Amino acid sequence: MRMSIRFTLILLLILTSPWPLLAEVQDETALDIQVREIAKTLRCTVCQTENIWESGAPLAQQMRGVVRERLKLGHSPEDIQEYFLSRYGDYIMMEPPKHGVNWLIWVGPFILLLGGGLLLYKEVNGWVRGTPSPPAAAPPPLDEQARQRLERELES
Amino acid sequence: MIIEIGHFSVIIALVLSVFGMASSALALKTRNPDWARSGRMALTLIFSLLSIGMLSLVYSFIVRDFSVLYVANNSNSKLPFFYTVSAVWGGHEGSLLLWVFILSVFSTLAVWLHWRTQPTIMPYLIAVECAIIFGFLCLIVFLSSPFERLLPVPLDGKDLNPLLQDPAMVMHPPMLYMGYVGFSIPFSFAMAALFSGRLGEEWIKVTQRWTTFAWMCLTTGILLGGYWAYYELGWGGYWGWDPVENASFMPWLVGTAYLHSVLVQEKRKMFKVWNLFLIIVTFSLSLIGTFLVRSGVLTSVHSFATDPERGLYILIFVGSVIGIAFGALILRSNKLKSQVEMDSLISRESIFLFNNLFFLVAAATVFLGTLYPLILETLQGAKVTVGPPYYNAVFMPIALGLLFLMGIGPYIPWRKASVASLKKSFSIPLLAGAVMVVVLAITGIRNLYALAGTYVVAFSGMAIVLDFGKVSQLYAQRNSSNIFKGCLSAFTANQRRYAAMLTHIGVLVLVIGIIASTIYQTEKVVSMQVGDEFTIADYRIKLTELHEVEGGNWKAEEGVFQVFDGATLLTELRPQKRIYNATKTPTTESAIYAINMGHIFLTMPEVSPEGVAVARGVINPLILWVWGGGIIMGLGVILNILRPRKKDE
Amino acid sequence: MTKGWQLTLVLILLGLFALFYQGLWGDPRHIPTVLIGTDAPMVEGPDVETGDMISLEQFKGKVVLLNFWASWCYECKVEHESVLQLHQLFKDDPNFVMLGVNYQDKLPDAQQYLKEYGTTFPHMRDLHGQIAIDYGVYGVPETFVIDQEGKIRYKYVGPVTGHMYTTITQNIIAPLLKDQPINTKS
Repeated sequence: MRMSIRFTLILLLILTSPWPLLAEVQDETALDIQVREIAKTLRCTVCQTENIWESGAPLAQQMRGVVRERLKLGHSPEDIQEYFLSRYGDYIMMEPPKHGVNWLIWVGPFILLLGGGLLLYKEVNGWVRGTPSPPAAAPPPLDEQARQRLERELES
Repeated sequence: MIIEIGHFSVIIALVLSVFGMASSALALKTRNPDWARSGRMALTLIFSLLSIGMLSLVYSFIVRDFSVLYVANNSNSKLPFFYTVSAVWGGHEGSLLLWVFILSVFSTLAVWLHWRTQPTIMPYLIAVECAIIFGFLCLIVFLSSPFERLLPVPLDGKDLNPLLQDPAMVMHPPMLYMGYVGFSIPFSFAMAALFSGRLGEEWIKVTQRWTTFAWMCLTTGILLGGYWAYYELGWGGYWGWDPVENASFMPWLVGTAYLHSVLVQEKRKMFKVWNLFLIIVTFSLSLIGTFLVRSGVLTSVHSFATDPERGLYILIFVGSVIGIAFGALILRSNKLKSQVEMDSLISRESIFLFNNLFFLVAAATVFLGTLYPLILETLQGAKVTVGPPYYNAVFMPIALGLLFLMGIGPYIPWRKASVASLKKSFSIPLLAGAVMVVVLAITGIRNLYALAGTYVVAFSGMAIVLDFGKVSQLYAQRNSSNIFKGCLSAFTANQRRYAAMLTHIGVLVLVIGIIASTIYQTEKVVSMQVGDEFTIADYRIKLTELHEVEGGNWKAEEGVFQVFDGATLLTELRPQKRIYNATKTPTTESAIYAINMGHIFLTMPEVSPEGVAVARGVINPLILWVWGGGIIMGLGVILNILRPRKKDE
Repeated sequence: MTKGWQLTLVLILLGLFALFYQGLWGDPRHIPTVLIGTDAPMVEGPDVETGDMISLEQFKGKVVLLNFWASWCYECKVEHESVLQLHQLFKDDPNFVMLGVNYQDKLPDAQQYLKEYGTTFPHMRDLHGQIAIDYGVYGVPETFVIDQEGKIRYKYVGPVTGHMYTTITQNIIAPLLKDQPINTKS
């Protein structure tokens, strides 16, 4: 009787003790990875240009929670982004959504580059055409004075 | 008492800056050089007085005089000494004083150094410098004084923002300001040239080393900022396209364009108006950057506390300087109609022009992105965020183009390149690029941007190495020595060129680091308890202990993580979650292990009271190439500035 | 440089400075709302004081003023008196309901706050931030006015005091209760 009580007590002690019997290998789930990917596209509204994955703000944490919940319910990443867009407007995306006047900054740089390149090309060609090409002819014949002086120098 | 001495000195400096402008005007009117000398003396006195001002502030910080408002707001009795000194430029008012102090140092130096060789334009130079100093001092004395008292005196200060208590952060503002202010010297010379009408190549030659020095300081300042962000913010990133980061990047882009464009003016005496335009834009962007950071117009991690009244003054000041500068340029440009002689589109002159195009489009892109939220809000009342995904997408092609041009420019002849010379210089580099791409693709790298970047980097790198190799060989043959002595001879005989090529190599190294650490970064976030482990890339990370630690002015929860490669223990990493005592601000301290020139970057964003830690591991491949590249760039510039003077300089 | 380029330069500079000037008076952190005219999300949460479940559904067909606050928020304290006064003004109208939403707060802190500053209307707790996110809230205090059809008609970010108090009471709530059109331009 005493043996079994002792045994039970030891067993209880082992099972309730704070140190883990088995160290676990932790890993991210596919859901974790998806949450991260979507969170990186959403802006933290109370931070300065941070996305909700980077931010430590409570609102960012709650928004990540909402993303996770919705993913669990089967929503697609686009649905989730749509949801946030409907609540906060375009500001909530980390980059300007490509519609309407926002196309201006998406294509702006390339227009500037191509347009600038063309203008530059035209300008440089204009300069090239306007530049007289160096004379390829033989040097001009010496005049009488120079020729005599040269002969005198060569003789001395 | 000391702080009042400082305050008084700054006020006298303000008065003297007006005198400096007046005496310069008189020097021009009466043609009496004594007035110019008075102006020089005034500038020198301004430098001395601002030194006193700075010293009085430093002193007040060191003795922890909390009766000074600025000291109370930015330090604390427990703040370590090192950071107590750097706290002087930790806030808006003190950093402005640092700005104008550095301006007075450089201005005085420039005036004394060039006094004998540039006598005619000196009055103009002094006047321009004093005008800029005047503008800043008015702001400091009337709207942003670090010299105000605080009564009743608090028992202790509020403490310096913990994020600023970091070595890189100490050097970042002074470096950055030396860059901005450094560009004010060629700017002032340019203004002097415009006002005086003496628009020869003089001012470019004289300011060439100033420009290179300023460029180095600005580059270093920006890289230090990135370095700080990487180590201190605990995110594993070094550039966020934050509005204030952009505010320093824009002058850098245009400054680099200017740095290259003046080479054409030196060699071919062309593009005078263009170079004047570029330096004015560069300095204007530095000033606009100052405005953006301190006015509250944009939201940013960095913005100082703001105030529309102060913002309005800065806007008026900056607007006046820029308006007058461009006005002078427009008016004088009519006198500068030069016939541009270009022999061919395929020439070094042409490549430099395309270099400028790309740099300016880059700067315009950053400018547009930074201001677009403001523009949209003003016009439509809607709000958008222009964040890193936008900039990364849009900037990449421009950067690739620039890197490609970098491999062409130095190796294409002036005036006109024949097809033969093109083949000789570029066939191998073009091939080398292709080879590298194939090699990397075979090893599994398939990302389009990584491959494009590799092509361009390999192309440019090969061009640089090939050219240097050929020339070194020539020197070796001529001196009948080995190739290493040949390299040395080649380098010292053309130090300016090859130091610059070294800087270009630094850029390539930096770019490789950026490509690897951005595209191939891996991240994992897990919740774990003591005894648990997780794997990231090929490494196993195990949490062995959680305990509390204390520092001078902070307390923290620290996790001890062991990092394994297979069965080998590589290191122990101790990331912390800190709380600073005075302000109760939490910070995440990262723990980093360098391996294979990259980093294993570990942070512990959260620890629950029950002992559950959230661990975040990031692998940043080749991140050390980013900092290494920066160092190589700096080395190149130093070797450039320290080159022996040649006869025609 | 040609006259054309000179003109372009001057225009760009003028435009830039006009933009900067405009920007000085704005608030870069303010987010304009996209919810005006949309259906108000039917949210629910436990009452701060009693623990009973309150649901917005209960108040369908009435004009609802929804006020987000937190015990740690300074500006909420500033507007508290005003908000209570507002409730007094309309509490006798059977078509008017006032609801508070306690945002990102700890229950004991919230209860202590209400005890200390007093309240005359119920408050629901936003347990996981879902209510706030549904309403596009990013800070406190924020106040919404929902009409009898359940549509969000007005939103204000900031304390409802002084001029804003007058606007909300006279130009928004009063007309809505009388089924009249509202004027959102204050």
